[in-house]
Amino acid sequence: MATATIAQPKGRRSTRARGVRVFKWSVLSPLILLFAFLIPVFLLQIYFSFHSWTVYLSTWFDAEYVGLELFQEVLTEGRFWRAMGRSLLFAGLSTLGCFISGFILALLMYKPFRGQAFFYILFILPMLTVPVVIAYTADMLLYEKGPINGFLSYFLPGDLSKFTWLANPDVAIFTIILLEIWNWTPFVFIIMLAGLSSLPTEPVEAARILGANRLQIFREIQLPLLRPVIFLALILRFLEAMAEFPKTWGLIQGGPGTATETIPIYLYFTTWVSFDISKGAAMSYVVMVIMIFIVLTAIYVLRREKRALDALHETSRAEA
Amino acid sequence: MNRVQKARLFTIFRYAMLLIWSVIVAFPIFWIVSTSFKPDWEWHAWPPVYWSKEASWVNYRAVWGRTQSPRATSGEKVATETARYESHSANKPWQALWNSLYIAITATALSVAFGAILAYGVSRYRILSEIRMFQLLVLRMIPPIVVAAPLTLYYSAIHLMDTALGLIIVYFITTLPYSVWMTKSFVDEVPVEIEQAAEILGATKWQAIREVIFPLIRSGIVATFLFILILTWSEYLLSLMLSKVDVVTLPVQLAKYEGSDEGRVYGHQAALAVGITLPLMVIGIFIRKHLVRGFTFGMVKR
Repeated sequence: MATATIAQPKGRRSTRARGVRVFKWSVLSPLILLFAFLIPVFLLQIYFSFHSWTVYLSTWFDAEYVGLELFQEVLTEGRFWRAMGRSLLFAGLSTLGCFISGFILALLMYKPFRGQAFFYILFILPMLTVPVVIAYTADMLLYEKGPINGFLSYFLPGDLSKFTWLANPDVAIFTIILLEIWNWTPFVFIIMLAGLSSLPTEPVEAARILGANRLQIFREIQLPLLRPVIFLALILRFLEAMAEFPKTWGLIQGGPGTATETIPIYLYFTTWVSFDISKGAAMSYVVMVIMIFIVLTAIYVLRREKRALDALHETSRAEA
Repeated sequence: MNRVQKARLFTIFRYAMLLIWSVIVAFPIFWIVSTSFKPDWEWHAWPPVYWSKEASWVNYRAVWGRTQSPRATSGEKVATETARYESHSANKPWQALWNSLYIAITATALSVAFGAILAYGVSRYRILSEIRMFQLLVLRMIPPIVVAAPLTLYYSAIHLMDTALGLIIVYFITTLPYSVWMTKSFVDEVPVEIEQAAEILGATKWQAIREVIFPLIRSGIVATFLFILILTWSEYLLSLMLSKVDVVTLPVQLAKYEGSDEGRVYGHQAALAVGITLPLMVIGIFIRKHLVRGFTFGMVKR
């Protein structure tokens, strides 16, 4: 971190320090004010999670105090934990899928070749579409009489115009995982491509001269050097996938039944379909505690890996 | 197998793989564009119609046309068929476009302007410590749905529900981590020495920033602006909850094209979807070199 360190007369330095302080607080105070403006949101959330209120009751403050009852209800509810499991499955599998396809593409493309720019532009397009549009496009594609079944019916026997990707509860969750992979493979792809092309070349050259084969070079040299970038990609992708809402909601609203009901969908359903504000608030708290735990772990790892990455950039810059 | 053969084999393998992935990526995009030109009897046809035999602008006219009764170009049938879906297009896509435009642009401009100033302070004077900078990321990493219910109630209590200002505030907050981290990565690349040299030559701090630093990071600021515009433009959940009638944005508008008896009105949705997505793709391709930096909060540079 670069800080100005020019030797200056004593008087000037203290005015300078005061200037920095003034600057600091004039930047930070609007931000603090904004957060203060939002504090009532959290107070309301506490209020609602201890008072049973739904929109069918009159005013907020008539709600009955129920203590920890709502939390107990959420924590002992099978539906909530199934949604949590589904969220973890969704985030885990889609992260893995994005990572595998994105990394393979990056490995195929990081060295210059004819058409590189064209493929790069084409491959980032899914990331640049509006998630809701993906939901509606998927509906058109996966419709029983849609083009995917039409295309597959050239190769597979039987009448595919009856096969359902979305109405079958066992298949639906994997369908939305595939959508997530389609949408976010470019994210891993561009990160890994940046990572691969910024790797220092000397260790690879040295290993090649010493007689290492491609696989050895990849496993023993490139992979360890890429570690920070890999962690970054996995963590950011996993967290975004945990919060995924527009595609799942736009496409099947958590259905059929509750087959694709992940945590964001269930929260939305409780609050905006059942209008059970209090239960939603209590559930939000449980989710928030779990998420904060995950995020703080993620931030701890991110900080560590960021430092490793900065060190790597520093050495490669020094060599260059 | 010698070296040359090996290299040739790898080239073939590479192009084969890239071609397969190209089809996977391009087909859905092709399909939505193609559907947007189809007349309605081709929307649900089996076997599916890949290339419309009667392509026309009729869906675009129905969705984006200023008048609510689009003229048919290919015969009487089209006219009656479009009339059936007319009720859906009463939902004013132009209004939604305007809402999307000014909410996204205002929120993004505020976020980037404030983010850049904060980033400058962090980069040069560490006005936020490293751990605080990482804590800022929490704003983005906690799913917004967990505060959605109390936020909605709070907003309706203070009359911010269904207003542009309400949406701008939440977009500002949720994109701030990106704008601070991304602009900081650009400021970090400008050596402090340049700034100090300007000051030694008699420039004031403000002059040094305006005449030396800003021109050097200007393209970075533009990239950050466009990157955050992508995020705010396509945001769905918050817009869905905090808007009712007045400030419906395009992604929410898209969901309204759903007939109760005809099922989804594919052609109209496709025409609207193309209109929403096209600007994003153009912007994204324009700033493709900076996308990595954006999505990773400036942690990975290219």
